[in-house]
Amino acid sequence: MIQVKQVNHTFLIGKKGKEKKVPVLKGLSFDVKQGEIVAIVGKSGSGKSTLLHTIAGFMSPEQGSITVNGQETANLNETERAAFRLNNFGFIFQNFQLMPGLTAFENVELPLKLKGISPKKRKASVGQMMDKVGLTEVGDHYPNELSGGQQQRVSIARALITNPPILFADEPTGSLDSETEQDILLLIQNLNKTLGVTFVMITHDEEVASIAHRTFKMRDGELVKEDVL
Amino acid sequence: MLFKDQVDFVRQHIKKNKLRVFMTVLAATMGCAFLIVLASIGFGIQDTMREEILQDQAITEVEVYPNENEELNLEEIKTVPYVGAIVQRTSMDIMTSFHLENRTIQGNLQLTDIKEEEQSNLKLSEGRLPQNESEIIVGYHFAQNLWTDAERAKVEEVGEEEDLPKGYEKSIIGKTVSLSLQPYDSEEAFPEQWDFKVVGVTDNPAKDWIVDQSILMDKSWLPELTGAYEANEEGIPEDFTYTTTKIYTSSLEHVKSVTKDLKDMGYNVYSVSEQLEQIDVFFMAFKIGLIFVGTIAILISSIGIFNTMTMAVTERTREIGVMKAIGASPKLIQRLFLMESAWIGIIGTVLAVVISYVVSYLANWLLPMVVGAALGEDGLEDLSITFSLIPWQLVVLASAISIGVAMISGWRPARKATKIDVIQALRQEL
Ligand SMILES: Nc1ncnc2c1ncn2[C@@H]1O[C@H](COP(=O)(O)OP(=O)(O)O)[C@@H](O)[C@H]1O
Ligand SMILES: [Mg+2]
Repeated sequence: MIQVKQVNHTFLIGKKGKEKKVPVLKGLSFDVKQGEIVAIVGKSGSGKSTLLHTIAGFMSPEQGSITVNGQETANLNETERAAFRLNNFGFIFQNFQLMPGLTAFENVELPLKLKGISPKKRKASVGQMMDKVGLTEVGDHYPNELSGGQQQRVSIARALITNPPILFADEPTGSLDSETEQDILLLIQNLNKTLGVTFVMITHDEEVASIAHRTFKMRDGELVKEDVL
Repeated sequence: MLFKDQVDFVRQHIKKNKLRVFMTVLAATMGCAFLIVLASIGFGIQDTMREEILQDQAITEVEVYPNENEELNLEEIKTVPYVGAIVQRTSMDIMTSFHLENRTIQGNLQLTDIKEEEQSNLKLSEGRLPQNESEIIVGYHFAQNLWTDAERAKVEEVGEEEDLPKGYEKSIIGKTVSLSLQPYDSEEAFPEQWDFKVVGVTDNPAKDWIVDQSILMDKSWLPELTGAYEANEEGIPEDFTYTTTKIYTSSLEHVKSVTKDLKDMGYNVYSVSEQLEQIDVFFMAFKIGLIFVGTIAILISSIGIFNTMTMAVTERTREIGVMKAIGASPKLIQRLFLMESAWIGIIGTVLAVVISYVVSYLANWLLPMVVGAALGEDGLEDLSITFSLIPWQLVVLASAISIGVAMISGWRPARKATKIDVIQALRQEL
């Protein structure tokens, strides 16, 4: 499903003219298979997010190749990448990233709007999805009227509404208390089983990583260890 | 994204910042209304002047003169498309006095072809056209200027314009008047006299100050009248007769083409379309100037749109980042912001058009009164002066400028939105 080969990336930091080179990804290679939950763990600053951003197409790595569903993503232009994301990826962020001006229902509906789905079909599938993630009651609440766990459910529903084959989650439980964290992890496991969605999850928390089928450990931009459940 | 969803999206954002958007729309409205009202003055004054010209003259008339030492080729002129009647009136360089009872008038005798006059739609206020050579038509003021010697002496003595003698107050129609000729440098009139029957009176001239005391007589009299001159004086001087040629067409549009064709033939031509063309050229320049000044106002108001849109983009950086992350294309983002600035431009323009019509209407209603009061005259209200006129072309032009400028000023902020980096945007604090 996803093949990452020899990916290198270096950031330039500091003032113009006096930049320092900081290598963040150093020749990373790994595969993700369909239907897997893969966790990438590592200390803060080890390059996990940067890795995810390159796979998701938010940025291009300096070197290396990333293939998703047989499509080399590095040589797509911005518009093509956006369309590719819309059709293949869902995203769950640490701080949910919901639209403050939209209700829970409308937030989940947004990707369908972007795809140009008719309002009637949208209403039906959003309704079902809200059911699946247990949000039926709070559909017309705005994000600031929801608890952290509820907000993350909205964001998961939004990520899944277009039936993407792959979901990326960057520290999905990083802003939640441990009880809510368990709920969300169960939901992810459940969705993985019932829908067969592939999850690529980033976390610095071994507990969270425990739901993964495989875990990659990163240190200073390199994969140092692979654990299989 | 469906168009309807795009509109919804834009509307939601506008709602969130009602006051700011309102102020921006207000500025756009003021700019556009300023342009329309300013330019409407040009259109209004032009219209008034055109009206004035068209009202005061026989507008379907084309005067044509030959070049020096040349003659008009009437056959050639007849071949020009749209040429209707060709009326040639000839006058003689001699005093022509008409007498009725004890009254006389020095009329302006014109020898003409009644058939052609009829075709040119000569209008009469009274009577009918002559049917034979002994019948004539007189000018509208002919009768009231038929004075007795005593009346004439009194007018010359007092020199006052008021209290003019009433002249001949009975109907002139059917009366017989006699003509006598007298050279300007002679004390005595020729002994010959000719009698004519008045059968018609011409229409009241359009302009108040025109005094029409002409006499239209069949041209077959010309040989006899010049013969009388020859009998009493030695030889006929050069330029004894003077002929004007007027060509009549069916409409103003045709006047234009006839004028052009005759000019191309090398004649000297004078017509309303000539005058109108000069006015149009002048006002074209004038209006372009006004529109230019008005456009500056729109440009100033566009700074507001630029600001508003730049702020909107900055405020929504995180949201734009999320939209892009979940798959909104840069083109869509750009379009949503362009739609927002276009919306501001369109609403501003619509309001401006409405306001402009109101202002224009009020100006046309109030200004004549104000000016009249200031000048201490009350006759001004009767004059149909248009101060401000808004033709649809002006509305279209102003709208295009206003909405175009709104979209151009929204362009850079919209581009900026597409350039937003997803990773940076997502990192922003909530
Ligand atoms: N845009 C950037 N410019 C410069 N340095 C960056 C940038 N993004 C990340 N980094 C650096 O790259 C390293 C890895 O960051 P990140 O991928 O966010 O790590 P993690 O997600 O594992 O905490 C850090 O040292 C960070 O400071
Ligand atoms: Mg991170």
